[in-house]
Amino acid sequence: MKISYNWLKQYINLDDVTPNELAQKLTTAGIEIEAVEPFVKGTNLVIAKVEACEDHPDSDHLHITKVNDGTNVYQVVCGAPNVKAGIKVIFARSGAKLPGGTIKKTTVRGAESNGMICALFELGVDKKFLREDQINGIEILGDDAVVGEDPIKYLGLDDVVLDASLTPNRADLLGMWALAKEVGAVLRKEVHLPKCPDSALINEPTHFHLASETTKCPYFLGKVVNKVVVKPSPKWMQDQLHAAGIKAINNVVDISNYVMLETGQPLHFYNLAKLANQDIVVKDNIEMSLTALDGISYDVHKDDIVITTNGVPTGLAGIMGGDDSKIDEETTSIFIEAAHFNDVAIRNTARRLGLSTEAATRFIKGIEPMAAKKAVDRCVQLLSELADAEGFEANVEAGSNDYEPIIVKETLQHCNQLLGTNFTAQQVEEVLNALDFKVKREDDEFICHIPSYRTDIKIAQDIDEEVIRLLGYDDLKETLPQMSATVGALDPRQKLRRMIKDILVGMGLNEIVTYTLTKSEHMEDTIMPFGEYVQVMSPLSEDRRYMRSSLMASVLSCIAYNQNRQSANNNLFEISAVTTQDKVQERLAICLSGHLQHDRLHQVAIKSDFYTLKGIIYDILERYGFNESRIMIKENNIDTTHFHPYRSACVYIGKDLLGIFGDVHPSYAAKMDVQNCVYAELLLDVILNNKVSKVRFVPLDKYPSVSRDIALVVKEDVQVQKIIETIKRNSNQLVRNVEVFDIYQGEHVEKGYKSVALNIIYQAGDHTLKDDEINACHNNILDNLQNKLDAKLRG
Amino acid sequence: MEKVQQVKNEGLTAIEACESLEQLNQVRIDYLSKKGHVQGLMSLMKDLSKEEKPAFGQEVNDCKQALTQALEQKMGVLQESALKAKLAQEKIDISVAGHKPIIGTVHPLMMIQQELEDLFVGMGYSVAEGPEMELDLYNFERANLPKDHPARDMQDTFYITPTTLLRTHTTAIQMRVLEQAKGQLPIKLICPGKVYRRDDDDATHSHQFMQMEGLVVGENITLTDLKGTLSFFAKKMFGEDREIRFRPSYFPFTEPSVEVDVTCHMCGGKGCNVCKQTGWIEILGAGMVHPNVLEMSGFDRSKCSGFAFGIGLERVAMLKYGIDDIRNFYTNDVRFLKNFNRFD
Repeated sequence: MKISYNWLKQYINLDDVTPNELAQKLTTAGIEIEAVEPFVKGTNLVIAKVEACEDHPDSDHLHITKVNDGTNVYQVVCGAPNVKAGIKVIFARSGAKLPGGTIKKTTVRGAESNGMICALFELGVDKKFLREDQINGIEILGDDAVVGEDPIKYLGLDDVVLDASLTPNRADLLGMWALAKEVGAVLRKEVHLPKCPDSALINEPTHFHLASETTKCPYFLGKVVNKVVVKPSPKWMQDQLHAAGIKAINNVVDISNYVMLETGQPLHFYNLAKLANQDIVVKDNIEMSLTALDGISYDVHKDDIVITTNGVPTGLAGIMGGDDSKIDEETTSIFIEAAHFNDVAIRNTARRLGLSTEAATRFIKGIEPMAAKKAVDRCVQLLSELADAEGFEANVEAGSNDYEPIIVKETLQHCNQLLGTNFTAQQVEEVLNALDFKVKREDDEFICHIPSYRTDIKIAQDIDEEVIRLLGYDDLKETLPQMSATVGALDPRQKLRRMIKDILVGMGLNEIVTYTLTKSEHMEDTIMPFGEYVQVMSPLSEDRRYMRSSLMASVLSCIAYNQNRQSANNNLFEISAVTTQDKVQERLAICLSGHLQHDRLHQVAIKSDFYTLKGIIYDILERYGFNESRIMIKENNIDTTHFHPYRSACVYIGKDLLGIFGDVHPSYAAKMDVQNCVYAELLLDVILNNKVSKVRFVPLDKYPSVSRDIALVVKEDVQVQKIIETIKRNSNQLVRNVEVFDIYQGEHVEKGYKSVALNIIYQAGDHTLKDDEINACHNNILDNLQNKLDAKLRG
Repeated sequence: MEKVQQVKNEGLTAIEACESLEQLNQVRIDYLSKKGHVQGLMSLMKDLSKEEKPAFGQEVNDCKQALTQALEQKMGVLQESALKAKLAQEKIDISVAGHKPIIGTVHPLMMIQQELEDLFVGMGYSVAEGPEMELDLYNFERANLPKDHPARDMQDTFYITPTTLLRTHTTAIQMRVLEQAKGQLPIKLICPGKVYRRDDDDATHSHQFMQMEGLVVGENITLTDLKGTLSFFAKKMFGEDREIRFRPSYFPFTEPSVEVDVTCHMCGGKGCNVCKQTGWIEILGAGMVHPNVLEMSGFDRSKCSGFAFGIGLERVAMLKYGIDDIRNFYTNDVRFLKNFNRFD
């Protein structure tokens, strides 16, 4: 919303407030001013007279001029076709700062040039406001212009435009009258708005017939004006329209726009002679095409509101009028439309047609209930004054405008209680009166009569906001809630997440956060699927259509990104919800590539491989409280598309599938453009849904242990876990620990076999083991290994 | 007797002259072993008179004792210097880098989330969560945003069906908690989470971002309570000497509504590029819970009041760490992530 400072000055004395101060005060009161800019930009400008003008000898279009600014005479090279001796011009002296840059003394094809003769667009005036000749040439000032004075002031363009960003509840401020009231309240100054005679008192009979056949147009106020004279509107009106960003056209059209800017009520003037019939019906449920006054043909759909005469659309209601009945130079009589149209219908139509006109914007944001009446009154006044209008007929109406004034009550005590303030009744009353709420005091109650344009004020809290907004937030104290004590704590799920993060970060992994929305190709690569995919109705792009239901594709994409940027070691994890139509799961993804730890100098290397990943998973589960015996590792027979069929596994807590981990399948890795990745995806709900054991103290061993190393040769498909289990099962409780410290295949071991070296710790809790005891146990173990696994001691 | 004295003196001189434990050992063998010089003196005993023998024996013993003592002392000295020499040989280059196990990083958004959770949990808030695929009911209607409310335009929405959507703010979580509370006071919670809006991604916009909203409902909760709470937050997050200010604003679910600015942490309020020369930075929106919201969720609007605030985690992280492009959070370049190797 562009606010003309000069326009405001018509209503309020702003002599002691600069535009910047006003902007500051409005912003503090909740009307955010985003920019304060002069309508015309340029320094060091002066009115000057062109004393001589000759053609440049080395050019077919340049002129060499002598320009007198009342103090000096300058030689200036000028390319404008309309420059000539004797005219008065806007002269930018050397050093002038214009939107296009700083003017410097220069030489143009051998001729010295000291400054520039300007066109208005060169001073930042939008070309859309200018005539063809103003765009093609320099601005020629009138004879009454005084050399040496300020050309901007002379042209009446010395306005400042405040650009306001309005909150949706204050659509009333799209009207200058309501805005002036607001400024008056903020500055505590009197506001003088134009007083217009009540146009409803005009009693001339009318034959115009008006009807609304749709609930989307609850009220329509119209008036026939039998005589108007179309001509240019006065300069002040043109300037103010331009400052507000609207192009001046002619007095009649300009009045419709000007009154819209004043009252917030979008208006449409019809060329009465061009209306097929003095009969307008507002309809929807029509399908047809219509040429609007921009000359473009639009398809009218059933939901659109249209203005019809004789059943034929003549305008897109609330958005744009029709071409047939538009006001032109020949117009001599008009029909004024001031109607209320449904905001949603206007929004849908405007959006579909891509027409965000000033009128549509105002209907969408909402217009005040009395706007139509105020606007028609004002039109009658201005048409009489500026368009020699006569022959006004009585108002015609369709529907009804049953506006009931709003009364809101608030007490001082409630107001102070909500705000935590100690305002006095006088302070509150002063604010409410500044807002023109016409307050009456009854006991401790303020009874506020809300002006029609303040449609945002409905309840006591709205009053409270006005009070604090205008008395200022700056003095508000800082307190903390006085209430019964509450216990703040993280829940088990939140604690689990923290624990996992602590472990993984401690091990050297980086946490990532990736997008939820993804593409269909990635959805096809969902692992551990659990329901129908969710897709959004109108995605921004196909890449962001689906809600992901697993994390693998997102995380691998992130690995690919980093690997493509020369990052060798990428160890990442993400914890995120994944969603299907029936269910939400929370998953942990871990992806390792390269090394987890690598220090060549000190010869430390932990490879990011299957076993590292497996160890990490065990660490998390054991740290959470699952004994190793409750964690089951089984062959992966669930997903061998995304995982290496022989280098991946499923992990279970008891009988519940916790997740899959292992090497990424080479084909899938190639598709995702990643190398050497191991990946795990685990279901946090499975962790949370299984009970954990309590932390228990185990008495320290009092008796010494004995360590024995053995090397076994077994068939290569014998799982190491089987060897360990066999040892433990046949240990007669004397084996404290079994650790595999080497697995070897190659020279000295028969093909198809492997050598497994183990360390066995023997220990008893109640006595020192004797050699005989250990030997008996050890031999028993060896026998069982031989019998059950065909394991031989390596010679 | 002279002979004894001579052996003693020679022995002491020999001990003194030793430069190594080996030499010292040789001296010990030469003098104190069974065939050593001291023992050799005893052979002179047979030539002595009976009267002379005790004194001579005493003399030899003293000699033995003196040499033994000197030997032990010398051994101590030599052992010590041998140890010193050994240690000197073990000298390492302490300037060589240590083996530094790599420690990973928490994602910066999650760091901010954790810091805020800890801050508010410490003040007695619980941490509530909810689904990202949400009902229109909780995301909009209960938040005083009925169908066709103009403010719905402000937050363009990813709809999934006409009644379900990707939540556009974590207010949806608050509405669920309020409903579950069935009118029971007090309510004191924060709700962090991912939210989604139909914005094209660029340096300052993201179709997905993180919010953390807070909600307190009780008897006589005031606007000053909101200011005090947010001031506490601003100081903890941006520095103890930060101040906050309120500016009027509009949200459908609060009345009054405010935008909250904090004094610029880069310039301390003097004005710089970060705060666009104003000394203030807008950090969040807040307000007093709209009575309609309380009523729709089953609370008696005349008996309670509350405040709510909403913090954008990206915004906080960008300000705090000086990040200039919101897309960094979701690209996860490890070089970016490694910046955040500690909580600030």
